[in-house]
Amino acid sequence: MTDTAMTTGTPSQPMLRVSDLSHRVDLGSDTLTILQGVNLEIKPGESAAIVGRSGSGKTTLLGLLAGLDTPSEGTVELGGAVISALDEDERARLRAQRVGFVFQSFQLLPALTALENVMLPLELGGLDAPEARARELLERVGLGERLSHTPRQLSGGEQQRVAIARAFAANPVILFADEPTGNLDNHTGQAISDLLLSLNREQGTTLVLVTHDEKLAERCQRHFNIDAGHLTESGVTPA
Amino acid sequence: MSATGKLVSVRRDWRERDVRVLLAALMVAVATVATIALFASQLQTTLVSSASAFLAADRQLESENGQPIPPAWFEQARTEGLKTARMTEFSTMIAGGDRFQLVSVKAVGPHYPLRGEIEFQSALDQPHQMVKQGPGRGDVWLSPRLLQLLSVRVGDTVDVGNLTLTVSGVLVREPDGGFSMSALAPRIMMNVDDVPATGVIRTGSRVNYVALFAGDESALKSFHQWLKPRLGPSHEWKSVQDGQALSQSLAKAERFLLLGGSLAVLLAAVAVAVASRQYALGQRDTVALLKTLGVGSRRIGQLYVRRLMLWGIAGIAGGLLVAIPLYGLLSQVVASALDRPLAYSIDPMALTPALLTALVSLFGFAYPPLRRLRTVPAMQVLRSQPGEAGWAAVIDAGIAAFAVFGLVWLYARDISLVLSLLGGLAVLLLVLAAVGWLLVMALRRLSGGGSAWRLALLALYRHRRASLSQISVFAMTMMLACTLILVRTSLLDDWEAQLPADSPNQFLINIAPDAVNDVKTFLNERGADVDRLYPMVRGRLTELNGRPVREAVSKDRNVNALNRELNLTWMDQLPDDNAIQAGHWFAAGDKTGVSIEAGLAERLGVRLGDQLGFTIGSQHISEPVTSIRTVQWDSMKPNFYMAFPPGGALEAMPATWITSFYLPPSRDQVLNEFSRRFPTISVLSVGHIIDRIRTIITQVTQAIETILLLILAAAVTVMAAVVSATLQSRQREGALMRTLGARQSLLVGSTVMEFALLGLFAGVLGVMAAEAAVWALQFRLFEGVFRWHWTVILPLPLISAALLAILGRWQLGPVLRVSPMLLLRRLE
Repeated sequence: MTDTAMTTGTPSQPMLRVSDLSHRVDLGSDTLTILQGVNLEIKPGESAAIVGRSGSGKTTLLGLLAGLDTPSEGTVELGGAVISALDEDERARLRAQRVGFVFQSFQLLPALTALENVMLPLELGGLDAPEARARELLERVGLGERLSHTPRQLSGGEQQRVAIARAFAANPVILFADEPTGNLDNHTGQAISDLLLSLNREQGTTLVLVTHDEKLAERCQRHFNIDAGHLTESGVTPA
Repeated sequence: MSATGKLVSVRRDWRERDVRVLLAALMVAVATVATIALFASQLQTTLVSSASAFLAADRQLESENGQPIPPAWFEQARTEGLKTARMTEFSTMIAGGDRFQLVSVKAVGPHYPLRGEIEFQSALDQPHQMVKQGPGRGDVWLSPRLLQLLSVRVGDTVDVGNLTLTVSGVLVREPDGGFSMSALAPRIMMNVDDVPATGVIRTGSRVNYVALFAGDESALKSFHQWLKPRLGPSHEWKSVQDGQALSQSLAKAERFLLLGGSLAVLLAAVAVAVASRQYALGQRDTVALLKTLGVGSRRIGQLYVRRLMLWGIAGIAGGLLVAIPLYGLLSQVVASALDRPLAYSIDPMALTPALLTALVSLFGFAYPPLRRLRTVPAMQVLRSQPGEAGWAAVIDAGIAAFAVFGLVWLYARDISLVLSLLGGLAVLLLVLAAVGWLLVMALRRLSGGGSAWRLALLALYRHRRASLSQISVFAMTMMLACTLILVRTSLLDDWEAQLPADSPNQFLINIAPDAVNDVKTFLNERGADVDRLYPMVRGRLTELNGRPVREAVSKDRNVNALNRELNLTWMDQLPDDNAIQAGHWFAAGDKTGVSIEAGLAERLGVRLGDQLGFTIGSQHISEPVTSIRTVQWDSMKPNFYMAFPPGGALEAMPATWITSFYLPPSRDQVLNEFSRRFPTISVLSVGHIIDRIRTIITQVTQAIETILLLILAAAVTVMAAVVSATLQSRQREGALMRTLGARQSLLVGSTVMEFALLGLFAGVLGVMAAEAAVWALQFRLFEGVFRWHWTVILPLPLISAALLAILGRWQLGPVLRVSPMLLLRRLE
């Protein structure tokens, strides 16, 4: 367990450290390089936005940062644990304990109600009183009246709010968001951004998001740009 | 319920179409196997006990040496829990009124018959009734013909030896009035305790003492074991299975049920596999999400195994809920048709194959695709990942093939049947895939017709992988269902052909050589068509290649034919229903050689060229085996184990002649006239045996029809599984097409045509494959003659096309009813 244990990070110790990360995909006759020489450090509690054009490698990078995939080269350290060296099950354990996710297409389980979707990670993590915590979070995201609705009965914005509630449910120390406003209209997107960032502050979570939404990106403390697989930091907004 | 609990609840699963299909397929498999297992064991018992009525017991022990069967043997049988009865058969002259008549006496004890009933009339003008006991002491029952021959009536007396008995009824039919060449007509039945008083039986009289036994199969076996070493050469132990006329029909029916059961299980397994694969594909996102939420692959594996178990329990329960009433219904039908109360009991052991089938279906067919869910990359949540690797599918196919093999073997217990079925299926699948691929490729060049046609053809081509697998699965389903329909049809035709309405129902035995022409003329004048008379010489097979046959044939082979006299004949032409299996039939002028029946040759281990020695009276002849021939014992014509050429050694022996002919029941008086004209010739009526066989065949047919229904249900689940597999993408496509402005009529037209074409291809391929399978099965299993089945070949592809067109139209329903936007969102 020790190798998967993760600290919540200290200002001196980064929450997320990426060193010389490259990622290639084997296309049979050819090899496609998606990411090349990526280096990155994010401190605990920081919010970081990665922007870039479609096909620039944003989503792949997010997947590697979150340990959903392993890089071809280089290392990813999450809270002190070298996740690129862990096997799938160890990474899964780590995700269950410390990582939250928000997806562009919400990824709610259609058969479960809003409440049950939020309860799921709590139950999987073996946490106490999952229902009370899930209710509380759904109240917090403004869906207290929609607990028993299934995803099909909810609008896109509502579904994303359920997904955000789910992401924060297990008290993650770091949250990854993939285009959280990508499937939403401007107005709803704005509301979702507000919710995500305010919850992030309230919970003291580190936030890494990938987005097209420049307004959302500007509201994060650190900005990265990715182009043709190369990552550069474009600026820092004071907290 | 907790969220995770809900994730593994069958109730929630039930809302998913693939799970519904999977559960339905599982239920059909369990229901089929359970019904067949329950019903087959019951049918076997019923048929055997119904056939037991031919013996009036489950087993008979006959003593031909004039020595009564020792009382200790009856005692032992009763100790083993068997019911016993005894009877004595002999021939004697009886006197009634002022006439005498040679009769065959059957003297029965108080427990006769142990199986079946005696058909009886209290007087000639009274209705027939079934009774379970023979005449009491002092009484005698006469056959109707004898009443007329003696001109006596019920209430009169007849003299049997020294004893005067009162005629108290008319003996219409004995349950064991079977088919025995030595039986002499006409018959009287009296009480066995009256026999000593008649004084007819003396030392040296030709008397048959018969012991009857009935009870559990195991008790019968153990008693037989005890009895075996005590039996002498003149003892004959008879069981129903030895009755050739029935056993051939029964064996065919049993094989059919087994084959049907195996095919239904195969079909259901295909449905389980397709539905499970589809379900697994749909679960990839959920699994990826669970992984991002931190669930390990081990836990995911457990989650799905638990789910499989729950499905298994639900499938087994559902299947049994279908099977048990169905079995009850079938039992009822059989009971009422055979006019006997039926023991309706559920043997838990008979349910074991059903449980095993459920487990094998689940773990052999449903589990492999689910197993691979463990390896779905978590990255799938962010971006669709490449599907399964090719080798994974190969492993799945291997597991499935192993499971199929196991299931069919479990069910048929016939390794060659399993291998030929699976080998056939594998070859057919390859051929189907190849032909299907060619068809789809040909489509690429096709165009023209209305735009709906073009769209339909385009769709077939665009989805060629899916189309191919669909054609293969549909064709295989068609093939399996069609094979069964064809085998059933030809099986029934076969039986019908064996026992046409004018099957001979009367045998004439004991015709003296100088009476042959008179008999022919007599019958032909009265419209009874006698086509052939056969000479018959009674003799024993005593030597094989110069050694006494009892030494030459292994003791393990209990060959009844060695225990009794055989009917030997000579003839120049091979009878229509005989076929040469080895060697050659006698050529004109051949004077030596013998042709032996194939079954007996096999039991004795006799081959072509072996020298067979026969003892006929005090004389001995020896001939080489020149041919081995099959005989259709259930043809109701005279049949012989041994045939010699005309003009050979046998012709020098004293012979009587035998023939059979059909006489409509309404013209029974011809028999009376015949008996008066030819008093020494025995007339044996076998009409009731034919009726009995017909009744049994009707029952078996009903069973087969029911099994066929289950198999069709399995076929429907396969179709549903396959259509369901592409339902979502097709609906999405339909919605998109509507969004892009396709008219409803165009959408309906092209979809219906696409499915109709799929159905037509599959139908044609399936029917062709089925004909090939039937051709093979016919030879191997049912020993029938192959014929093309145009009445099935022609309509089936059309039916298949229509069926699929309807399915296609049905699955398009939501696309037409709901706004495309809503549908697209729903399918998101």
